[in-house]
Amino acid sequence: MLKSRITTVLSSLALVSAFALNASAADHKVVAKGLDNPTGLAIQPGTGHVFIASHAGVLRLDPKSGKVTTEIGGYPDPTDVYGKGPKYAIGPLGLAFLDADHLVVGCGSRADGEELVRVFKVGAEPKEQKESDAVKTFGPITASDLSAKGEGNFYGVAIIDGAIYVTCNGDDTKGWVAKATSKDGKWGKLKLAIATKEATEVDAPGPIAASKNGKAIIVGQIGEVTVEGDSLLTFYSPAGKLQRKLTTTLNDIAGIAYSKDGKLYATDFSWVDATKGALYQLTPGNKESTEAKAKKILDLDKPTAIAFGEDGTAYIAVFGTVGDDGKPAGSIIAVSGL
Amino acid sequence: MSQLCGLPGRLSVLLLTAVFAATALTSALAEDPPAVPTGLPAVGWPADNPPTAAKISLGQQLYFDPRLSSDDTISCASCHDPAKGWSNGEAFAKGVGGALGGRSAPTIINSAYFRQQFWDGRAKTLEDQALGPIQAGVEMNMKLENLIQKLNKIEGYKSQFKAVFGSEASAPNVAKAIAAYERTVLSGNAPYDSFKAGDKDALSEVAERGRKVFFGKGHCSACHVGAALTDNSYHNVGVGMDKKEPDVGRFAVSKLEGDTGAFKTPGLRDIARSAPYMHDGSLKTLEDVVEHYAKGGIANEYLDEEIFKLKLTDQDKKDLITFLKEGLASREYPMHKAPKLPK
Repeated sequence: MLKSRITTVLSSLALVSAFALNASAADHKVVAKGLDNPTGLAIQPGTGHVFIASHAGVLRLDPKSGKVTTEIGGYPDPTDVYGKGPKYAIGPLGLAFLDADHLVVGCGSRADGEELVRVFKVGAEPKEQKESDAVKTFGPITASDLSAKGEGNFYGVAIIDGAIYVTCNGDDTKGWVAKATSKDGKWGKLKLAIATKEATEVDAPGPIAASKNGKAIIVGQIGEVTVEGDSLLTFYSPAGKLQRKLTTTLNDIAGIAYSKDGKLYATDFSWVDATKGALYQLTPGNKESTEAKAKKILDLDKPTAIAFGEDGTAYIAVFGTVGDDGKPAGSIIAVSGL
Repeated sequence: MSQLCGLPGRLSVLLLTAVFAATALTSALAEDPPAVPTGLPAVGWPADNPPTAAKISLGQQLYFDPRLSSDDTISCASCHDPAKGWSNGEAFAKGVGGALGGRSAPTIINSAYFRQQFWDGRAKTLEDQALGPIQAGVEMNMKLENLIQKLNKIEGYKSQFKAVFGSEASAPNVAKAIAAYERTVLSGNAPYDSFKAGDKDALSEVAERGRKVFFGKGHCSACHVGAALTDNSYHNVGVGMDKKEPDVGRFAVSKLEGDTGAFKTPGLRDIARSAPYMHDGSLKTLEDVVEHYAKGGIANEYLDEEIFKLKLTDQDKKDLITFLKEGLASREYPMHKAPKLPK
């Protein structure tokens, strides 16, 4: 059961002038608010419903009605806490649709070595279920020579060429991307596949997506939360070989997604200076380039995931800043015109 | 030129002088940056402080000159001595009048790659850092105005500052010269670099086993990563946290509670030369350091999540220490000598 403070609430659809500092071309509005540390986003094919991973569970937002409902609850409470101060209570993290009816959820609720990646059957209409109702569970990936504490904090999930890819933040010497494939309709184990930190020498794989041609794997390497400008945009071959490693000038890349016309956008959570949180357009340049040019589109207060709907609207999850009342300050911002 | 000739004579001369000075400066700016040792990336030189041989030479003289202190006894090199791993071999360095600092003198080696300077990162650049110890009461205890007057009375410095910066000595230019020199204190070209470049025999058998421990179950590479073997971040590893009044470290700068007791990850190149270790110099040997991490540091409320009890055998520890001592020792260690100082 989801906590009452998270359940509802949505918005006035009013324009948010506080976020408008750089929004020259992009119209944006709050479409859900009062959310508790929203992290992952996935758009359901067909319905266009926005699924939101947040501290206490997975929510469903119907952009047409503005209604937010609980879709998956029953996560451990208290959950894991991330950060050194400020600290954020987290729960489910990465989301991706395997198909219109199956949602993959990477979790951050538990300790490293106990975390799970689960697949849920979800319909076109809201229906609350529990974490334990998953139709498929991957993991845990326990401690081994490849991962000293075992894996957890599955920040990003992507479906690339039919396989499930999950970024992991358990073992900080490796920075794994895990992968599960299916054969003849049967899923294999979730296995550690790409040691991103060994490949890039930068910490923390975060957002993950398919490249424009749908074959290569794009990973945003968050870097150290205390270090400015160290986030990377990286490209791997389907075999997991690092092909490109681009600096971005972003502090903490938290979300990446392609727009309908093939432009790449990224969010910067910017732990080190929350006033610099923003949405950027990234231009990787030609093959010789070592830098993805970052153009700021919109100032945002601690943004996390970004996902594009079929109509071209970008949805961005934002932590926001909790006020003196202690109420959750997270929101979903819809941006058009990108 | 005809327009220039139309100007009053004195102004023309001034302009021409400026043009020549600018030409000389442009020529100086065009110098290639000093080569870096194998295994290290190019040094990022600030646009407003490009390298020139003359500037680096000036910086080296300033670095080794005790006249930068209030009583002419302490130079930068007194506490950051090339012969002692560019640190000073003691837990705390002695400044003017024997005053003791509160933290160990961090090595200068590869500070060109550090994103922030000092154990708590309070300076963003080497230029920002350079004037701090000169003014600190427990270090060189020198007022900047006195320093500048002093330097401009030394003809050898005065002329060099004019040649390099086009003006007499000033605080910003002292900082630029010292920072420029410090950017040349680099350690690379170690057996580890050869190994990374493909020479699989570059490390001894023991050191290679130690490398695997370093990047594996020793968990060292969670923080010691990249060419300089630092993540440029801050971690509470428990050192000093069992004291009555622990040093709050990075917290004093960031004001983030989670940074309490956190200090910058030091680089590890030529680490065998710069004992004792940690921000308070409390661990005398690399063996002590490895034992500290193997037991999971010292428990405290702010202990970094990357610090936990390791499953290392005695052999693992020995191998790891061999890797640190041999594998990261440069074949061309920057054993700089004090240059002849100007009069």
